[in-house]
Order: sequence, then structure tokens, then C-alpha cells
Amino acid sequence: MTAFTAILVDGYRELVAKKLFTLSMILSLLVVAVIGIGGLNEQGVTIFGFTIEVPMINSTMFTPAEFYKFMFNSVGVKFWLGWLACLLALVSSAGMFPEMVSSGVVENMLSRPIPRWRLYIYKFTAGLLFTSLQMAVFCLASFLVIGLRGGAWEPGLFLAIPLVTLLYSYLFAMSALLGTVTRSAIAALLLTILFWGFLFTVNSAETIVNGFRIGSVKECQAIEALMQKRKKENPDVDVSDLQTELERDQSTLSNLALWHRVVFALKTVLPKTDETTSLLQRWTLEASNMQDEGADDAEEVAATAQKQRRRGGPGFGNSRAKTSVVVAAIEADQRSRGVGWILGTSVAFEIVTLGVGCWLFSRRDF
Amino acid sequence: MYGGNTHALRDVSLNVGAGEIFGLLGPNGAGKSTLVKVLLTVVKPTVARGAMLGKPIGDKKTLARVGYLPEQHRLAPYLTARQAVEFVAALSGVDRATRKKRAAELLDRVGLSKWMDRRVNVFSKGMRQRAGLAAALVNDPQIVFLDEPTDGVDPVGRVEIRDLLIQMRREGRTVFLNSHLLGEAEQVCDRVAILVQGRVVKQGRMDDLQREGSRQELIVRWSGSGASAGVGAQFAANGSAIARSLPFRGMNIAPTVLADGTHQYVFGDVDAAAAQPALAAAIATGGEIISLIPMHQRLEELFMKIVVDPTTGKAPPPGAGS
Repeated sequence: MTAFTAILVDGYRELVAKKLFTLSMILSLLVVAVIGIGGLNEQGVTIFGFTIEVPMINSTMFTPAEFYKFMFNSVGVKFWLGWLACLLALVSSAGMFPEMVSSGVVENMLSRPIPRWRLYIYKFTAGLLFTSLQMAVFCLASFLVIGLRGGAWEPGLFLAIPLVTLLYSYLFAMSALLGTVTRSAIAALLLTILFWGFLFTVNSAETIVNGFRIGSVKECQAIEALMQKRKKENPDVDVSDLQTELERDQSTLSNLALWHRVVFALKTVLPKTDETTSLLQRWTLEASNMQDEGADDAEEVAATAQKQRRRGGPGFGNSRAKTSVVVAAIEADQRSRGVGWILGTSVAFEIVTLGVGCWLFSRRDF
Repeated sequence: MYGGNTHALRDVSLNVGAGEIFGLLGPNGAGKSTLVKVLLTVVKPTVARGAMLGKPIGDKKTLARVGYLPEQHRLAPYLTARQAVEFVAALSGVDRATRKKRAAELLDRVGLSKWMDRRVNVFSKGMRQRAGLAAALVNDPQIVFLDEPTDGVDPVGRVEIRDLLIQMRREGRTVFLNSHLLGEAEQVCDRVAILVQGRVVKQGRMDDLQREGSRQELIVRWSGSGASAGVGAQFAANGSAIARSLPFRGMNIAPTVLADGTHQYVFGDVDAAAAQPALAAAIATGGEIISLIPMHQRLEELFMKIVVDPTTGKAPPPGAGS
């Protein structure tokens, strides 16, 4: 424990010596301050007494507590901590492992009575301090803002500390491995960002393909329902047009399902950065129940969808399934992915990455 | 072994006694640092058999009783000297109270008492070297490996470090000194080994090695006036100095004529009694004894004899070859 504590303290001192850590900490507090300064009235969002009209975001739609929690999650965690602060942390800590394995330093580390794999893990843990300390400060400030301004004291916010630290740890494990292999901070940073971009691409591809797949499922269901409805009204009615439409959509669905299986398999073995931070939303915010507004009738939906497409509006390519139904189905599908799958597979990838790093570090001559 | 077929070290066999200062000498690239790294688990050898402090080489726990100052070591620039030394102590498993006490004591001992709370990044190279020495001793080691400890240190600092090495020996520590500063090694080492191309080509006690090449130099003036004039003068006049040999242990030793006209005789050991017949013969034949000086072999001479190829006059390339 003496060595572990010493490496942690050393890691903290290294961070404090870097201006980027202080800068990042100040920016975190600024983000919380900006969230805290904002407020809600019936027209929209208020800042310093001025009202900015924002559709769907006003005091009739959200309570103050919901607004601040939403801002904490979407702006604070998802945008600031999930992206920018993580990037700053990567920049700041990319040099930790290349520095540790550099000549003149590594000899002092390896000639001590500590197994190499432990040194690697201790150093890795020290590298997580940047994010965890920043998260601790951010969450404490947000907890106070939501409590004081929104009137809701939400200890669940502190779950963001382990969640965002975990998200960062997926990336830092890769940065540590690359830093050990290349012995270059720049190479480690650039390749880690590339890896992060790859994760983002795979995640986006899976989300998009899955969206279309679910849209297609719902479309087929809507067509089948419409066919039954027409036949029920008039058993002799000709539904060959719908049958053709159904067969075309089923063929599309078959292709989409195949592609989704491929992308999903790839995603399964990779860390899930976006879904990890989304867990916070699951645990701290109420699910946004979309109200079914408008007609239930598939023909009416199709007409509305056509109008929307002509205007360049939203849609999943479906013309008969209601957008709200599709969105709800996608949300349900995403929520069906358990915490065990999201975190378990991500942590498994991280363990493999760390294992490879430890193995290389233990085998190499310095 | 590097690159598949280059041996960095081969057939190295050393025996270092407890409480002695052992010097490992050799040209650049001979494998001195690599050997230390092998002993300290920084480099994993293909094969290494032996014991250090009674445990097999490579035993991690033994390293708690070992100190190390790597060549061109770097202390973290964001730490103060005290923090850097305490950090090394913590890695060696020294408890908090002890490491605080020892860090302060050692920094004082290496002359950094006024600088111990300043960051290392403002230190000169010599100061960093001193801080590194303190770090090497902070776990109260039984054996200390010092790789070029006086590198970058000023002359006063070098003397202080030499005194520190002697003090370590007095405290019963074994010091393993890697150096190419032969003069320093000569002054402090009890035993040395010379490593060339990854092989130990010579090792032994310093006084034995010095004795191996020891000699006496007798300077005689044959020419000149007064009592020395006579047969000697005739020699000088004839220019046949080589024929004027003197007896030593049953042999006749021929002189070398020096620039000032005196004659130098080199006898193969430092036994003054053995030189008496030669002195008597020189005096008897009119020679004037200018000096008789016992000469011990300098480490540098021995080193150059071993390392430099007499035909090319160059040191061999690094590595033990394939």
C-alpha cells in the first residue's frame, strides 16, 4: 500500500503541476455556474432576467428541478465531461506512461521490490485521478445548484463520478497501452483520439442502423394492421398494393437486421462510451414519456409522414408507423440493454487492454 | 541478447564481497549499465545464475535492500528534492516516518539541506546527481549500485562523493560502482572488473592489479664531471648506452637514454633490495644515481593495455557480438 499511495500522491502532484488540470477544473465550475445562472419561466429559459424563447423548454413542461437535472445531464455530463473534459484529461495524462518508461525514470521504478504489472496498474489508477477529482468537484457544485436553485436534493448525481471516471478509464487504458508501446505522448494521444472516434463511429452506425431496423419493423406492423383493418371493413377489398409494400419493407428489414447484427456484434466487444454516460440519465432523470399526439390511423399517419418528408421533416423512412411509436420502440430497445451488458462488456474490453499493457510492460527490457 | 544475434553480455562471472567498493570498468558500450540492469531486473537476461544478498538474481523482494542511482537518471521535475527522495523510499516500501527522517538526513549529507524543498527542475546537473545519490541511499540499502555517480558533478562535489563512497564502505555497505573515470575508481575501489564487449576480461583486487605491472625506475647520469666521470663518460662519448646494462635478479637490464642525457633503467618489481646490486654496480662504474622510484601500475595503463587493440590503437566496438 505504501507504494500504491506514493504513486497516487505522485500522480496528483503531477496533475497539479500541469496548468491544464487547473484550467479544466475552472472550466468545470464555469459550466456549473452557467447551468446555475439559467432559469425557467413560461416563455422559455431565463438568464440574468432576460428570457430566451426555447420551444418545449419552459416552466409548463419542466419543473425547475427537472430543468437543472436535464441541464446537468445533457450539458454538464454528456457534453462537457463526456467529451471536452475527457479530451483535456487525455491530453493532460497522455504523457504519463511514455514518461514512466523513458530512460532515466524507468530504471528507478523497475528496480524496486514491486512487480511490474502492479506498477502499471498503480500508474493507471493514478491517471484516473484527473477525471475523478474533476467529477467530484463538478458533481458537488451541481448538487448544490440543483438543490438550491431547483429545490431537489439529488444524491444520485454523484453516480456521475464513477460513471464518467469509468468512461475515461476505457480511453485511458488504451492511451496507457499505446504510450507504453510507442513511448511517445503525441502518438499515444493521437491514436487514442482515433480510437475514440472509431468507438463513436461504431456507436453512431449501430444507433442509425438500429433506428432504421426498428422503424422498418414498426412499418411492417403498421402495414399488416392496416391490411387487417381494411379487410375487416370490407373482406373483398384489394390490398395487393399494401401486400407489395409489405414485401418490399420486409426485404428491407431483412437487410437491415443483418447489418445490425454485424454492427451490434462489433459494438458488443468495444467499450460503450455513450451508453455509459447515458446510464446516468436512466438513473437520475425520469424517462421522457412521449405522448401520443395525433391520429392513430395508419393512413392518416402516412399522409402526415409524406407531408413531413416533403418539408424535410423527421422520419425513419417509414410512412405508416408513427414517429412517436418508432422513437418509443427505439428508446425501449436501448433501455432493454442492461447495465451488465453496457458496463460488463466495456470493462471486459478495458481489462483486456490493461492486460496487454501489463504483459508488454512486464516483458520489455528498458 | 539484442536483435536476435547480438549478445550484450556473455559469460560474465563476478564475485563481489560484502562491504567492499567494487568498480566495474569498461569502454562505452561494453555492457556495464546493462549488467547492473540485469541484476536489478530492469533488463531480463536470457540466462543469469547467481545470488545477490543471498537470494537468486531477479528476486524482487531483495531489491528492498538495494539502492540504485541509474546513469543519467531523471527525478520528476514537479517534485521537490525531498518529495523525490521520499517517493523512491516509498517505492522501496519504507514507512512514512522513516522515509521522512532519512530523506532529510541524506539530503543534508549530500549538501542539499538548503535546497530540499525546492523543485528539482531548478537544480543543476550536479545537484540532481546529489539528490539521486540521496534517493539511492534512502532505503538504507546493503548494496548500492551507482552508475556514473560523478557525472556532471564539479571537482569539489566529486571529492565529496568519493568521501561518501568511503563512508558507505565504513558503514558496511557494498558499493557497486560503474565508472569510466579510472582515477576515481582507483582511489576508492577495493576490487575492479574490466568489461570489454560484454565479457569480463580482467578482475581482481586493486592492489594485486597494481602490483602486476609495478616496477622501479632508476635514473643514472653517466656523463658529467667529478666523481661520476670515468667509464660512464666513455659510454656517453661512445654513444653505446645500450651496452651499459645493470644487473637485476640475474638479468642485465639495458637503459633508455632520456632527453636530458640521463639513463633510465626499469626493473620489474618494487622490491628495493633487489635493486641494490644495480645501484652498487652503477656507483662502482662511475654512475651518479639521480633517482630510484617505485612505480605502481596505474589503472589507466592497465585499462588501456586491455581495452585498446595494440595493432589498430582503437577500442573494440560495443557488444559481445554474435
